[in-house]
Amino acid sequence: MAVAPADAKAEAAKMDLLEDDDEFEEFEIDQEWDDKEEGNEAVQQWEDDWDDDDVNDDFSLQLRKELEGSNAQKS
Amino acid sequence: MAAYLSMGEAHRRIGDYLSRVTNAISYSDGAALASLLSVSSAPASTPLSDALAAFPDFPRLAGDRFPHLADFLVPLLRAIHSHSIQRFADAYSSFEKASNAFLQEFRNWETPWAMEAMHTVALEIRLIAEKADRELATNGKNPDKLQAAGSFLMKVFGTLAVKGPKRIGALYVSCQLFKIYFRLGTVNLCRSVIRSIETARNFDFEDFPVKDKVTYMYYTGRLEVFNENFLVADQKLTYALMHCNPQSQSNLRRILKFLIPVKLSIGVLPKRTLLERYNLLEYADVVTALKRGDLRLLRQALDKHEDQFLKSGVYLVLEKLELKVYQRLVKKIHIIQRQKEPAKAHQIKLDVVVRALKWLEIDMDVDEVECIMACLIYKNLIKGYFAHKSKVLVLSKQDPFPKLNGKPV
Repeated sequence: MAVAPADAKAEAAKMDLLEDDDEFEEFEIDQEWDDKEEGNEAVQQWEDDWDDDDVNDDFSLQLRKELEGSNAQKS
Repeated sequence: MAAYLSMGEAHRRIGDYLSRVTNAISYSDGAALASLLSVSSAPASTPLSDALAAFPDFPRLAGDRFPHLADFLVPLLRAIHSHSIQRFADAYSSFEKASNAFLQEFRNWETPWAMEAMHTVALEIRLIAEKADRELATNGKNPDKLQAAGSFLMKVFGTLAVKGPKRIGALYVSCQLFKIYFRLGTVNLCRSVIRSIETARNFDFEDFPVKDKVTYMYYTGRLEVFNENFLVADQKLTYALMHCNPQSQSNLRRILKFLIPVKLSIGVLPKRTLLERYNLLEYADVVTALKRGDLRLLRQALDKHEDQFLKSGVYLVLEKLELKVYQRLVKKIHIIQRQKEPAKAHQIKLDVVVRALKWLEIDMDVDEVECIMACLIYKNLIKGYFAHKSKVLVLSKQDPFPKLNGKPV
């Protein structure tokens, strides 16, 4: 069944959307690799101690200035 | 243009190919057989495809010479020929016929000697189906071949995922199915496949080849992200990350692309070096926003990369981080107050929060902020209560900003 050219373009565009960069690349058919005990170093690149009480960064200093300003206005 | 090919030479080449296939079967040489079935990765012109073009009567040749395997060999040659002249929908139809015939033979072979060939068939049918659908869509027809390939692969999966020596090949096929279902957007169909794999009593998941386990954990991990089961998603994607081939940068990047939002949801941040190494800097501002309590930066980051985040399906996960950013901001206000006036630090006037948000160019009135504070308390991101009349947030004296310890909001 023939479809008007405009619809065909839309279908082609839909197929482009389905070009899936998130599709996992095929490993070689019998590929093995050195599956180390400690795994890839990427697993160690995280931090969970970031939620500290340090308010000496730029953002916090600016925030402090802003809040002090408003207090001054109030009094 | 190919040089002139004599009938005799064409005939010889086709016969030679068919002999190699049938010999591989006779001698149970799985690797040899597999290498003969890679239809879609062949260049447009090979000695074989030239011969098929020059000798149109090749179906009869195959059928006469090898009648017992004609159901497999004839459509296989048709598929190779159609593919070489870029008629992909035709190539698919023939390859599907050949694949069905191959599956019949495979079922009758007791040992799993032909597993590599079966996997090659599984991969090829998907790749040819994709080309076929692209061709159909371009011609304004309904692209239904990938879906058909999915149906065929479910048959293969059903053949493999039973107790016995062939089960080791099932995970590879499940991954081909995942790739199809994800591309078609029919991810609900993954469920029955996953159930077959994960509720097996007589087979240990660890016995599957590592490349298949990694791929499997990537896809099932992504499904857990869609379903917002962040703790399980973390386990699966971390497994994939840990065991992935370290040379495979692009696959490592894919895993991280989904693992990072999951980690953020459970309060773990990626180091900047990780984002740089794998070119995932679209997350950099999100991380900074969380560290600072900078709601404006989070919204900017989501806005800037909206298309990217929507396409991979992580936008909603990242958007939900807003509450954590609010928590961090209120915490900072509390610490700043504590440095000035420790006695009164556990009371935070709503006006102060409004003021801080205004500074971040976020226009909210006191009622809206009260709503957010109520939310934070409800979700246990803030311990305390809200004094409605005086519009003051009263923090608990002990641990007012509990760490969720890996539990998502």
